[in-house]
Amino acid sequence: MSKYQYFIEYFEQFPLVIQLLWIISGFFMIAVLVLISYLKMLRSYLRKKEKNTTKYEKEYELSLLTYLFSGNEVDEVNPEQQLIIDQLKTCSIDKLKRKILVSLLVKLKKDISGEMSESINKLYSQTGLIGYGIAQLKSNQWHVVVKGVRELAQFHSTEVYNEIFNIRNHSNREIRKEVQLYLVSLFNFKGLAFLDDLKTSLSEWDQIQLLEELHRGETQEIPDITPWLRSENESVVFFTLKLAKTYNQFEVKNTLIDLLLHKNKEVRIQVILTLGHLNVVESKEILKRNFNQSSQEEQVVFFKIFESLYDNNDESFLLEHIRHKNFDIKLKALSMLKKFSIDTFKNIEVLPTDIAYAKIFKFVENN
Amino acid sequence: MDTGSIHILIYVINIFFIVYTLTAVGSYVILGTLSLFETIKYFRKNSYVDYKQILSSTVSPSISIIAPAYNESLNIIDNVSSLLSNHYANYDVTIINDGSTDDSLEKLIEAYDLECIDYLINEQIKTQALRAGVFKSTNPAFEKLTVIDKENGGKADALNVGLNMSKSDYVVCIDVDCLLLEDALQKMIKPFLETTKTRVIAAGGVIRIANSCVVKNGKLLAVNFPKKLIEKTQVLEYIRAFLLSRMAWSRLNGLLIISGAFGLFDRKIIIEVGGYDTNTIGEDLEIIVRMRMHMEEQNIKYKMAYIPDPLCWTEAPDNYKTFISQRNRWTRGAIETLRKHRKIGLNYKYRLLGLLSYPYWFLYERIGPVIETIGIVYLTTLVVFQKLRWDYAFVLFILAYLFTVLFSLVAILTEEHTFHQYKEKGIGYKMILTVLLEPFTLHLLILYAAIRGNWDYLFNKNKRWGAMIRKGFQKSKVNN
Amino acid sequence: MNNKKTIVLAEDNSTLSLLLKFRLEKEGYVLLIAEDGRKAIELIEQHRPDLILTDIMMPFVSGLEVVSFVRGKLNLGSPIIVFSAAGQEEMVLKSFDLGANDFMSKPFSPNELVIRVKRLLH
Repeated sequence: MSKYQYFIEYFEQFPLVIQLLWIISGFFMIAVLVLISYLKMLRSYLRKKEKNTTKYEKEYELSLLTYLFSGNEVDEVNPEQQLIIDQLKTCSIDKLKRKILVSLLVKLKKDISGEMSESINKLYSQTGLIGYGIAQLKSNQWHVVVKGVRELAQFHSTEVYNEIFNIRNHSNREIRKEVQLYLVSLFNFKGLAFLDDLKTSLSEWDQIQLLEELHRGETQEIPDITPWLRSENESVVFFTLKLAKTYNQFEVKNTLIDLLLHKNKEVRIQVILTLGHLNVVESKEILKRNFNQSSQEEQVVFFKIFESLYDNNDESFLLEHIRHKNFDIKLKALSMLKKFSIDTFKNIEVLPTDIAYAKIFKFVENN
Repeated sequence: MDTGSIHILIYVINIFFIVYTLTAVGSYVILGTLSLFETIKYFRKNSYVDYKQILSSTVSPSISIIAPAYNESLNIIDNVSSLLSNHYANYDVTIINDGSTDDSLEKLIEAYDLECIDYLINEQIKTQALRAGVFKSTNPAFEKLTVIDKENGGKADALNVGLNMSKSDYVVCIDVDCLLLEDALQKMIKPFLETTKTRVIAAGGVIRIANSCVVKNGKLLAVNFPKKLIEKTQVLEYIRAFLLSRMAWSRLNGLLIISGAFGLFDRKIIIEVGGYDTNTIGEDLEIIVRMRMHMEEQNIKYKMAYIPDPLCWTEAPDNYKTFISQRNRWTRGAIETLRKHRKIGLNYKYRLLGLLSYPYWFLYERIGPVIETIGIVYLTTLVVFQKLRWDYAFVLFILAYLFTVLFSLVAILTEEHTFHQYKEKGIGYKMILTVLLEPFTLHLLILYAAIRGNWDYLFNKNKRWGAMIRKGFQKSKVNN
Repeated sequence: MNNKKTIVLAEDNSTLSLLLKFRLEKEGYVLLIAEDGRKAIELIEQHRPDLILTDIMMPFVSGLEVVSFVRGKLNLGSPIIVFSAAGQEEMVLKSFDLGANDFMSKPFSPNELVIRVKRLLH
């Protein structure tokens, strides 16, 4: 008791500042001890979780495969399957187990299509997992809503169409994006209707995801993409150009040629590449005509596609540009000349003083 | 000098140190909090992402991995094989053998069926000449690989050759012995794809320490906490720096450094600024500063991103000599770069770069160790002249120590909550012990190395690039 | 004497591997599973299977290297089917150049795979 009092008296002798500092130190000390014990608890929790995860994964994998293989090609569910459904239903009450089960189903769905894929979708509904997915849609946290929409999209849940359609104009960008992916994953090209009046920009990542979803679905008839090419929204134009390339939309070549006059240089570049990919020979003359006024990037891109559109009438054009200031164009022009008119190529005069040019010429000559 | 003025002098000096320390501490707290929020946000945003979509897409941008190598014969085949097995559709790998005097080239030629080919390089950046030339594989399975053998010119020069050669949209500049995880490219390229209005010109990733980890044939099999104290404290330091500081700077778009060991860049921009500077030791810091200056001068909205996922693993120095040499080099590199571009300091024309990043780096990273050392000298002087107020000094010391420990614990907890790389039982205790010991060990070493760096910069211009003795990855046992 | 045909499956999606194993063993084949390219090469060298199924993107060693190894170093004539994710057309073409017999792009139907396996083995 006296020692304790002695301490207090000693402490009170200190100037106020030092007392304050000691009190703060005290708090820090407590904080340190709290964090240390929290760290220990966290680590053992994580270890346990991992062990359980592996255990459940094996268990559910087996159940899932048994379910899929005990089906007998009929729509009805046989008793063996029902047993598994009930078992999984009980499991999905626990959050961790549910997460493992869903990720297992998703893992399989990624690589499987056809009847088995449909069975997995059915299983998702039958076990009641779909209910949890729908519950996530109502969350306050945006990333939970996104997860919900994504899950429901992966299992092609048409039942929730209305709920999801209603949040398509949500204020959060990620949610809107996920809804778009849902629509495309369920309705393929028809799901792209939102492009008609989209006001926000689609990033490259958005576009990649949409393209992948389209690719995974069953091939449908592709609608007329011309209105999208004429969109005010430049990102829609970019996306549609990718569609034109991927699905070989030769029909839109005239619109593409019109787009060569688009105000955005990046758009014009992509249009040139698309025209090259689709082998639209008519575009060649226009591009040659506009060549000298276009930016250097457009010139380089033109030469990239030139080779596939070349015919002998273009020889003079090639000769005009074999000394272009851009390295890539020089190289390409000389290579093309060698390939298509070897005699003209051999007759090119190369001054020995022009070392850099001679290097390029020699390289083309030898390869 | 009379007692009165000495007292005033001491008072003023004390105030100076207190203000400096308080602002430093305050900045750590602010940066730490920002980083935490940013890491959580990143996690949420990417917890449901299927990166494989980037992998399989035909419209994913092209990436060139450029890896300079100098006398890396011990591990070169494993390293290259690791780089070639990345899960990305549209990329290639260029190894630049920078005038090695060992048999690196011969080993590569044999392992990958290489043959010398005629190749024309577009010399957008001036570099040293080629030596044995350009090599490609005759086996279509290794079509991605190109090996360039050139005259020695240093890391920056080798990188520039890679930049000249590449035809991709983006380049990854990496140390050849860095172990890259399979999905690294997918994760690193994502920030570039997500933007709509701002242009992302560079992305940096976390460097993880691979000492004591199990690596077989260029693949990371198991993550272990290192054995030596010097390695353990570095692990702590890296976690603290990457998770509680760099994420914040990325959020503020004031990131001033992307590690030279691993970074992804927009190739067009990096060539526009003229490539790496071959006359500086800290070429990784210098190129970032120059790229930022370029974008500010052009008035284009841009961003440098930062990925907290563990994607790149490398070996850290495991002995004092190599460690001090490395930190000495980093210090000199930083001083050089800050001095070279001092015009941006407090220059509002460079916005955040000049008004925040540069001054902060200067005050707390560059001058910091110097001030701290002066502080220690000052304290010692006070003790000698018996002017020290022990009651103040003692409590302040305790406070400083507890703050550091607390901050480190927060860093460890962030790591556990997010990536939880060290799963083995018992590592928790080791981590705590490391946290408690670090201020007395690594921190003091860093101080010493920084002072040496300053000294060498001022008086010893002949310091060469210290060679880190390559031991190769340790083969430790894997615990089940 | 064991008349059952052996198949080596190289696939890093463990659930998919298990599913294919069930499916193909139902048809009377013996299935050996490898989770990555390196293990696949070991299994192939050891067992000289009658058919090889391999994913293209795998840890360690890619499917391309597996094909190259089987046709080149091992000189084994067993039919090879490669799996690819979409967008890897170049890889698929390369694998054909190296000697693969057929490819299936993911996602695929396991029933379809069985049909193709049967076709190549009988």
